[in-house]
Amino acid sequence: MSNTPEEKMKHLDEMTLLLYIERQLDRARGLEVSAHTQECDTCRTLLRAMERESRLLTRAMLEEDEPLPSRLAQFQERARKSMQWIWGVAFGLAATGVYALYTGYIQPWQQQLEQAGFGGSNLLGLLIFQGAMWKGWQSMMTLLEVLAMVTLAGLGAMLFRRRIRRGSALALVFAGFCTVLALPTGASATEHRGGQNPTVSKDETIKGDIYLSGERVRVEGTVEGDVFAAGKDIDIDGHVSGDVISAGRYLRIRGTVDGNIRSVGNTAVISGTLGKNITWFGDSVTVDATGKVGGGITMFGGTLAVDGRLGRDILFFGDEVNVNGDVGGGIRQKGHTMIIGSGAQVDGPIHFDGDRPAIVSPGAKLASPVEFKQMEKKQSYREGHYYVWQVIWAAAFILFGLVLFALMPKFSQDAVKSAEHYGASAGLGVLVLCGVPIAACIACVTVVGLFIGISAFFLWYASLYFAQVIVSAVIGQWLMGRTSELWPLIGRMTVGLVILRLGTTIPHLGGWVKLAAILWGIGAISLALYRRFQPVIAPSVPSAPYSPPMPPNTTVGGVPA
Amino acid sequence: MNAPGITEPTEAIARARAGDAEAWGQLYRDYAPAIFRFCRRALPTREDAEDATMEIFMKLRVKLVQYDATRSFSAWLYKVAANHCWDMLRRRRIRQDKETDDLENVPLEHPDASQLELLIEQRTSAEVRKALDKLGGRARMALVMRYYSDMSYDEIADALGVRRAFVGVVLLRARHELRQALEGNAALAAGGTS
Repeated sequence: MSNTPEEKMKHLDEMTLLLYIERQLDRARGLEVSAHTQECDTCRTLLRAMERESRLLTRAMLEEDEPLPSRLAQFQERARKSMQWIWGVAFGLAATGVYALYTGYIQPWQQQLEQAGFGGSNLLGLLIFQGAMWKGWQSMMTLLEVLAMVTLAGLGAMLFRRRIRRGSALALVFAGFCTVLALPTGASATEHRGGQNPTVSKDETIKGDIYLSGERVRVEGTVEGDVFAAGKDIDIDGHVSGDVISAGRYLRIRGTVDGNIRSVGNTAVISGTLGKNITWFGDSVTVDATGKVGGGITMFGGTLAVDGRLGRDILFFGDEVNVNGDVGGGIRQKGHTMIIGSGAQVDGPIHFDGDRPAIVSPGAKLASPVEFKQMEKKQSYREGHYYVWQVIWAAAFILFGLVLFALMPKFSQDAVKSAEHYGASAGLGVLVLCGVPIAACIACVTVVGLFIGISAFFLWYASLYFAQVIVSAVIGQWLMGRTSELWPLIGRMTVGLVILRLGTTIPHLGGWVKLAAILWGIGAISLALYRRFQPVIAPSVPSAPYSPPMPPNTTVGGVPA
Repeated sequence: MNAPGITEPTEAIARARAGDAEAWGQLYRDYAPAIFRFCRRALPTREDAEDATMEIFMKLRVKLVQYDATRSFSAWLYKVAANHCWDMLRRRRIRQDKETDDLENVPLEHPDASQLELLIEQRTSAEVRKALDKLGGRARMALVMRYYSDMSYDEIADALGVRRAFVGVVLLRARHELRQALEGNAALAAGGTS
C-alpha cells in the first residue's frame, strides 16, 4: 500500500457514486461528493467509468436492433377477439364439406373404379399412372389421405408457428413430405432408347422396364417389364409382360400386353390381347372385333367403341360410347350419346347420364335395361339445400384460404398486392390459365417430363382455388381498407369470399363472375411469383428508419459545477 | 420524461379518449415500436415481447379514460408497460429465489475503476443487450425502467414493489450482475477491492 495523501482519504463507495450520478443525493451530500471527486483521482475515475457505464446501457437499450414484428404493425384487438368463433364455425362447416366431398364424389368414384378393376383403394396411384415415374406416390393410399396430411401439416405448422420460425416450419413440412416421397423410391435397371424410330426388334428380349421415345416407337419383341413410350405412333406388336405407359398420337396394340395400359393420347386401337385394364385420357379408344381386354376401361375423352371382348366394366366420361361386342361387367357413362348395337352383350347394369336416351338395338343382349338419367343443365337455385351447400363450400374456401395465408403469409400478401395491378393480372391470368395445362400436356409427352407435367397440372388446379382466395382478399380490402397485417387480411379475405361466393350464385352471370375471379387471381399469383424470382437489377433504397417519439434520453448526472 | 424536442400528440390522445378509432390507430403506430422495444429488453423472448405489447395496448385502450391529461403520456404508458411486464415475470417466478435474498446488503466497496473503464471500453451495445438476457428478472426490469424509459426512483419502487430507498441497491446489484455477465469478472461484479 502506498502512502500518498490521496490514498489516506476514505474513498467513496460505489452506491454513493451511483446515487450521485443519478441525482438522488440531497444537496449537502452532493456537494461533499463533488468536492471529494475533485480531489480524489481514484473516485473521479470510478465516477467517470460509472457514467460511461450508464451511457453504454442507455445506448444499448435505445438502439433499434430489430424492426417491429409484422403482427404488431396494426392494433388487432377486434380481429383477435372476433375471429375465434368464426374459425370454429368455418372449421365445422368445412369438415362437413370434406365429408360430403368424400361421400358424394370420392367414395362412389372409388367404388366405380373398383368395379372397373382398378383397385379402388388407390385412386391417386391410378391418377399418377401406378408404377410409373414415382412409386412413392403409391404409399399414399387415397386422395383423401393426402388432403388430410396436407391439412394436418398446415395446422401443425400454424400451431407451432410461434415456437418455430415460419420459414423453418415450412421447410420442416416440405422436408417431411420429401422424405416420405423419396424413401420408397426404388432403383431398378431400366433401358432407354431414343432416336427417330426406337424399336425392340422381333428376336429381342428386354429383361426389365424400357423407356422408348421417338417419332415412331415399335415393340416387336418381348419386354419382361413395363414399357414407357412417348412418340407420334406407338405400335406394340410383340409381348409386354408388364404395363404400357404411353403418351402419343396413336397407340396400336396388335400383340399381347399382360398388364395395363395407362395413356394420354389421341387414338388407341386394341386389336391384340390386353390382360388387365385401360386408363385413357384422350379422344378415342377402339377395341376391335379381334381385340380382347381382360379388365375394364376407364376413359376421359371423346369416343369409345367396343367391338371385341371386354372382361369387366366401362367407366366413361366423354361424348359417345358405342358397344357392339361383349362386356363382362356393367357400363357407367356420363356423356352425350350411348349406342348399343345388335352384336352387343352386356352382363352388368348400365347407367347412362346423358342428354338423350341410349339407342339400343333390339338384338342386343343386356342383363338389365339401360338406366337413363337426363343430365341436369340448370342449377337448382330455388332449392333450400343449394344455399346450405353454398355456405358449407364458402366455409371450406375460408379454411383453405386460412391455411394458405398462415403457411405463406408473405407470398399471400405479395399476391394480394399484385392483384391491384388489374391489367397485368388479367392479362397474365389468361396466359397462365390456358398456357399451363398445354405446357403440362407437352411435358407429359416426354417420359422425363411426365412427373413435372402432372405436378404442374395439379399445382395449376390448386391455384384455381387459391386465385379466388386472393381475389376475395382484394375485395375485402376494398370494403374494409388496406392492411399489411396477416390476421386482419384473413378477416378481409373472409368477407370478400362471402361476397364472391354470393356473386357466383347469380343465375347465368355467376359462371362469368367465377371465371373473371379465377383469371384475375391466377394472374396476381403469377405476377407475385414472377416478382419473387425476378433478378434484382439495382439495390433498393433502404427506407428511412422509424424514429419513435420515445423513449427519452436518460438523464445522467455528472460532476456539478 | 419525454424526449427533448418531441411533443406529445395531445390532440390525438384527446380524440382517442373520446373513442376515435383513427386517433387510437395513430397513437398505436407512434408508440408501439417503443413499447415493443421496452418489452423486448425486459422479457426473455421475442414471442413474450410480442404478446406483451399486444396485451399492454389492449389494457391501455380500456384504461385510456383514466389517463390524467396533465401528466406525461409516455410516462403513463411506460408505467402500464412496466407493471405488465413485471407481473408476467413474477407469475413465472423467473429467478425469484435468487432475487429475494439479501436485498438489504449491498457491497459498499470501491471497485477497480480502471478495470471497469476497460470493460466499458471493450463492450459494444450488442454485447450489452446479449448480457442483459442473462440477468435476473428484477435486475433486468430495473435497468430497463431506468435506462430505457427514464423512470424515476419512485416509479421504479412502485412497479417493483420495493421501498424507494432500495431502488439504488437494486440498480447497483443489477449493474454488478451485468458486469459479471459481460466479463465473468467476480472482482468487478462483487464490488472489487477498496
